[in-house]
Amino acid sequence: MGAQAVAAYEQVDPVPGGSSLGEVRVVQPLVMLHAGALGRLRLSAMLDLEGQTIPDGELAPGNWGEGFVDRRHPHTYLHELVLAAEDLLGARDGPARVSLSVGKGFAPFGTDDPMVRPFIRYPVNHHLAQILERAVAIAALRTGRLTVEAGLFNGDEPEHPDQWPRLGRFGDSWSGRITAAPLPGASAEVSYAHVHSPEHRSGAGTDQAKWSVAGRWDRTIRGHTVYGLLEWARTSEAEGFFVFHSLLAEGAWSTGPHRLQYRFERTERPEEERITKFRLLRPDLENSILGTTRWTTHTLGYQVRALTAGPVAVDPVFEIAYAGVAQVGGGLIDVRQLYGRSHVWSLTLAVRVSAGMTMHRMGRYGAAEEEAGAMNAHHGMNAHHGMMP
Amino acid sequence: MKPTRSTWLVAAALLGLAAGCGGDGGGVGPRSAGSFSVVSGGNNVPDRFSSDLWVKGSWAYTGTWGRAPRNGLRGDAVKIWSLDASGAPTLADSIMTPGVYNVSDVQASDDGSVLVFSTEGGTNAGLYVYSLSDPRAPTFLDSALVADGIHTATVADLDGHRYVFAARNPKSPALLVYDITAPASIALVATVPIPPAYGIHDTYVRDGLAFVFAWNTGVIIYDVGDGRRGGSPANPVEISRLLTADDNVPGGPSVHNGWWFHNPARNESRYLFIGQEGAGVVGAESSGDLHVVDVFDIEHPKEVAFFHLDGAGTHNFWVDESRQILYMAYYNGGVVALDVSGQLLGNLSNRLIAQIKPGGDDDTYTWGVQLANGSLYAIDMLSGLWQLKVP
Repeated sequence: MGAQAVAAYEQVDPVPGGSSLGEVRVVQPLVMLHAGALGRLRLSAMLDLEGQTIPDGELAPGNWGEGFVDRRHPHTYLHELVLAAEDLLGARDGPARVSLSVGKGFAPFGTDDPMVRPFIRYPVNHHLAQILERAVAIAALRTGRLTVEAGLFNGDEPEHPDQWPRLGRFGDSWSGRITAAPLPGASAEVSYAHVHSPEHRSGAGTDQAKWSVAGRWDRTIRGHTVYGLLEWARTSEAEGFFVFHSLLAEGAWSTGPHRLQYRFERTERPEEERITKFRLLRPDLENSILGTTRWTTHTLGYQVRALTAGPVAVDPVFEIAYAGVAQVGGGLIDVRQLYGRSHVWSLTLAVRVSAGMTMHRMGRYGAAEEEAGAMNAHHGMNAHHGMMP
Repeated sequence: MKPTRSTWLVAAALLGLAAGCGGDGGGVGPRSAGSFSVVSGGNNVPDRFSSDLWVKGSWAYTGTWGRAPRNGLRGDAVKIWSLDASGAPTLADSIMTPGVYNVSDVQASDDGSVLVFSTEGGTNAGLYVYSLSDPRAPTFLDSALVADGIHTATVADLDGHRYVFAARNPKSPALLVYDITAPASIALVATVPIPPAYGIHDTYVRDGLAFVFAWNTGVIIYDVGDGRRGGSPANPVEISRLLTADDNVPGGPSVHNGWWFHNPARNESRYLFIGQEGAGVVGAESSGDLHVVDVFDIEHPKEVAFFHLDGAGTHNFWVDESRQILYMAYYNGGVVALDVSGQLLGNLSNRLIAQIKPGGDDDTYTWGVQLANGSLYAIDMLSGLWQLKVP
């Protein structure tokens, strides 16, 4: 078992409307459970209490999705509950491993959940680069340094924290991911997803075709843990009428209890009708948007392991981000009218408290899951500075 | 199996051969191309984006739109325009409705006694009725608030009563029928749920039939006084429904609006024109075709023709029935005039009479059109109210 919570003061200047806003919130309050049985069954469960701590979302310039904008939405209470049956063929497939996983969790697409990466603040591209909280059935094959995953899931994304996937839509969407890991802790991956009507729960909305290509490094160099992620993502919606791109590069370097981290991101997002500063009209009434904006964000962060007491670790975190916002193409969106200017500063002062087991790389199940113990200092929860070999 | 565009084309060609090698069945042949020209107006609503319009006598009323604010202002105004002897509009006044984002539809009653408009967004979304006893200064009579807003409101006189057929937005989309015979006392008389895909966008009411344009559910035809199914405004009875082709337009069939064409030259009411509102970027891009549905057998409507314009999509219609010309607001395509005389089959691209972008290439996103007093009035979201000379 493991648990964590982050107490954060977040200041953004400006928010929509032109003023600045600061808030203290508890974000990412998680309880995690991993269990195994019969030698081949593995359960991954994560409870996320953001529905209680940030029901109106977390201040996050540029973020959008699930009806929120410029705030990150709270995740559903049951963030992940996946049962994996591993190595189904035993010795019959030689050294290869085949698994089948079912439950509620991540579709095999894109990169790791931002929650298990170094930064507190989510990147803008969350809804371009991950597909989460769906009813999933995933087959995975690992052979040598190659892992292949294919999954079926429901296209509808949740609209509020206590909502379940619409089971009647299970199977209307699919995805696949190929990951090559030439070295432990170093990998390259490409994935594709077809998602039916993600933003219209009854299924009347437009479909998305999503690509993600990424390379990841998470190894020790000369005694220091070095993490890096380079990611490109593209989502095409409404048969290519709307196309949104994202390029993200982030890295972290640790020495002793200290960690420095930096992220560059350039992501396009749709601009839709706002019913308040931070909420979008849902459900949609038609298939039009107001335009597209491009968010170019630099985020610099520092984290230090301040305290370790038994299973409990305390990590103060500082992050500062600068985002330039620009309109892409035509439409009625006016960045300066919306924010008062075309750049946004944000600051995060936080303390992460974690206990128990280390957070796993969410979204990879069964044969695609990392080997036990293959965690390191850059995962968000209870990072005890373990090193990759 | 859902018919594809190629299926329609083949069927249309065969039908055309069967009808006598492209004969028009008694109508006139395609007209030669003409042109629109700007008579007056334009660039006259700089404060807000514009939405719908209605012209009655020497007055015009235009809505405003605010899904995105312009100059920080939402669409909470109905603009009142005085039309001079030549038909040129001059802004006279405005009706302000605080607490709404869009004035989504505007219509005056046939007798010119009341102005009805619908609103969306905010706390005061719903239906509004004003007296036009002084058309320059309409006075508030009553309103019916609807939490998720009303997208369109169609005024129709039926059997001695005056009704409004209103399109309630999701989450629970529905056809709402209001009796406004006593305009200071709006009465809801019917609520007909519409499937949430995405719901209902517009209605067209004529001769006791109500055509409900219900996005990816298609067009639903109700008896609301026609007699064949015993329906009434208080008890609409479905006669039939049809899902038009998607034409590979992003977003699917997206059945948005329509006009049941009564052709005096052929003394028939065979064709229903349907606008498809595909994906768009408001103010810049749009998509969607005109679909022509044969409703001669109202119990079994069938799609028979279409019109496609590259790079733009349809919005609202007006038909000059005496001249058999369909005028279409075409968003970034401006205004299009189409010859709808005679028999309509297959691809109508050779029926294009004229097109104009009243605000030019960079300032045109036309919401609606109306023929009145010999001019075509066009309301453009970006560039305001225009008076056009028709081809």
